[in-house]
Amino acid sequence: MASPRTYRCEAIILSYTPLGEADLLVTMFTRDQGKVRAVGKGARRSTSKLVGHLEPLTVVNMSMAHGRSMDIISQAEVIQSFSSLKEDLMAITKGLYLSEMVDGFGAEASANPELFRLLLDTLRAVETNPASDMPLRFFEFHLLQVSGLMPELYHCVECRQELEPDAHRFSPNVGGTLCLDCNPDDAHLRPLSLRALKVLRLLDRSGMAEACRISLDDSLAAELKSLLFATVGYWLGKEIRSNSFLEHLNNKSHPEVYI
Amino acid sequence: MTQENISGASPTLSRLVQELNRLPGVGPKSAQRLAYYIIRLPDDEAYALADAVTSVKQNIVFCEECQNLTDASPCQVCSDTRRDRTIICVVEDPLDVLAMERTRSFRGLYHVLHGVISPINGVGPDQLKLKELFSRLDRPDVVEMVVATNPTLEGEATAMYIRRHQGRDDLKVTHLARGLPVGGSLEYTDETTLTRAFQGRQEI
Repeated sequence: MASPRTYRCEAIILSYTPLGEADLLVTMFTRDQGKVRAVGKGARRSTSKLVGHLEPLTVVNMSMAHGRSMDIISQAEVIQSFSSLKEDLMAITKGLYLSEMVDGFGAEASANPELFRLLLDTLRAVETNPASDMPLRFFEFHLLQVSGLMPELYHCVECRQELEPDAHRFSPNVGGTLCLDCNPDDAHLRPLSLRALKVLRLLDRSGMAEACRISLDDSLAAELKSLLFATVGYWLGKEIRSNSFLEHLNNKSHPEVYI
Repeated sequence: MTQENISGASPTLSRLVQELNRLPGVGPKSAQRLAYYIIRLPDDEAYALADAVTSVKQNIVFCEECQNLTDASPCQVCSDTRRDRTIICVVEDPLDVLAMERTRSFRGLYHVLHGVISPINGVGPDQLKLKELFSRLDRPDVVEMVVATNPTLEGEATAMYIRRHQGRDDLKVTHLARGLPVGGSLEYTDETTLTRAFQGRQEI
């Protein structure tokens, strides 16, 4: 039996680009079909019924029709707009960083409801506490997990010995943590402090709420950020462009007020 | 497949197709159609098109004041002594200036950013005409800045960035009202727009 011409889905808008005279090419992550790219016909006109419903970082109920080359958005209705998040520059930038990573890791026509849930939970956490970086660390760690790229944290990936409570090394290239006795020739190898290993294990066992309660000193926060960013970047295989503006804001960080 | 790979195609024609294919929104088929249309044009029309392209590249410059595209700097708006020099309206693109001018309701000056901060596309503050804006704002005769970036996520983020980094405590910073478009429909309006429309309701 032929598949129906139209379908409904719940989606988080990741980004869009202008298409033709007044259309938008929208990239979204859906709960049931993974990443979907679809056309919003006339969506750039101020009187379009789609206007305001296709902004990035918005959860939307979509009605779509299968097109010849790309699906067409016939209706869109906002379920959650994250309006508080969108009144804070740092939170917006963090949200766009998340959406860029989901765009990179999410596969088209391949459902990943865990990733959908992870993005939703992280956007909520960023909205609640825009100044904290822990939601991003939790997201990066669990992004690897739900993408089947979870790093090994309990045994050495080379000799398979259980890791002693000590400093170790880490490489995304070999799949996780290495004991100090194993020395593979690997350009991605980096030191891993015992404290950072403990936080990674804690992230593994925690939910978002618990993770957001973890308090890290500056050096530990920097180590964790660098390690997870490098690991995610390694698997993504391309630059995460929104990170440079995020760093720019971090260097000049002070409270934001919406005008 | 490019025209170059098609046996029998003229190299001159292939070159035109390839150049047209670089334009935004023009795919290979449209590029071929445009190329064949240009071939069929009368000579004077085809040369006029080529001349317009050459001339725009040779003569268009950024206005030293507002950064809009112009034949001569400063542009017509910036050199018009009747305009209110105490208020600057910040827009994303030159086309936004045309849209604002059509309203005939704004008599101040403009500043064109030539884009918005777009972290996902790697566009940061340094790629926009923000340094030029902030140096204009240093002049004490400017009393108000209207940030008229588009009400999109990136437009709003750019507005917030400008507000945060503009460095003058005595400057009035405003943005355009948010609300319902003429010809729009409440039923299809998103909740953010409707909320802001309520906040900005006016007595009738």
